[in-house]
Amino acid sequence: MFKELDPILHSQLRLAVMSLLISVKEAEFTFIKEKTNATAGNLSVQVQKLKEAGYIEVVKEFKDNYPNTTCRITQAGIKAFEEYVKALQEYLKVGQSKQ
Amino acid sequence: MQDEQPLSEQESLDLIARMINKAKCDYEDTAISALMWGGVITVCSIVAFIGVKLNMPALDNIWYLTIAAVFVQVIISVREKRRKRFSGYTDSAVGGIWISFGIGIFLLSYYANKFHVPAANSVFLILYGIPTFATGFATRFTPMTIGGLACWVMAIAAMYTTWPYDILYGAAGAQLAWFIPGLILRRKYQKAKKGNV
Repeated sequence: MFKELDPILHSQLRLAVMSLLISVKEAEFTFIKEKTNATAGNLSVQVQKLKEAGYIEVVKEFKDNYPNTTCRITQAGIKAFEEYVKALQEYLKVGQSKQ
Repeated sequence: MQDEQPLSEQESLDLIARMINKAKCDYEDTAISALMWGGVITVCSIVAFIGVKLNMPALDNIWYLTIAAVFVQVIISVREKRRKRFSGYTDSAVGGIWISFGIGIFLLSYYANKFHVPAANSVFLILYGIPTFATGFATRFTPMTIGGLACWVMAIAAMYTTWPYDILYGAAGAQLAWFIPGLILRRKYQKAKKGNV
């Protein structure tokens, strides 16, 4: 029986954000925006969805008198990401054995 | 990047690999600190050696240059922290190692001057090796790991070398531990910077 792919992660931009955040301890919003080539508006919406799912933490503060948003993956986010990758690998294994 | 584009399993894995690689390739270490300390310790060691050989004790005051370098280091660290847009898992651990090294080297300098420790250059080189090796090991930056090992080899060599020639091992250690890895890191940083433009 296949595990269903996590719908929160199975979306291009949210998966890109999570893949970036899994590699670093924390990253600023501008860094994520640059690396994903997303628009600020779209990225804000997806970051909010990840935050609501409990996969990331978002900290808003001031840096050099300018508002600055920092994102960090949570333990729940790490677990969900690992399970998502495991599920993907299972799908691909079955796909290859059918060929 | 759009959000609602349907992804195949293979596309998802490719995207994950691509984004992890993008984060990895974003070298934000400017290597200025490694270059500065490699240069300062090399210059101080060579000038101190010349001072002994030419019987000019005043040249030993060159070591005060390291105090000036500490102030420059503080400015560099503050600027780099402001500029940095992400932090890695090893950043705070590596920072802690270098702060403890700075305090340790300050105390050791005081101790070596007060009690006239024999073969003090060996002790300094042993200390140089610790944070250098730990940083290279934690960040998987092989030139720095080798640099740390080189410091310990130099420390052994300095134990069997008569004064003042053992001072020159300090210069060699600084080159191998900081200046050369700094140059390699700087090249990587500039290459990554060009790629991001």
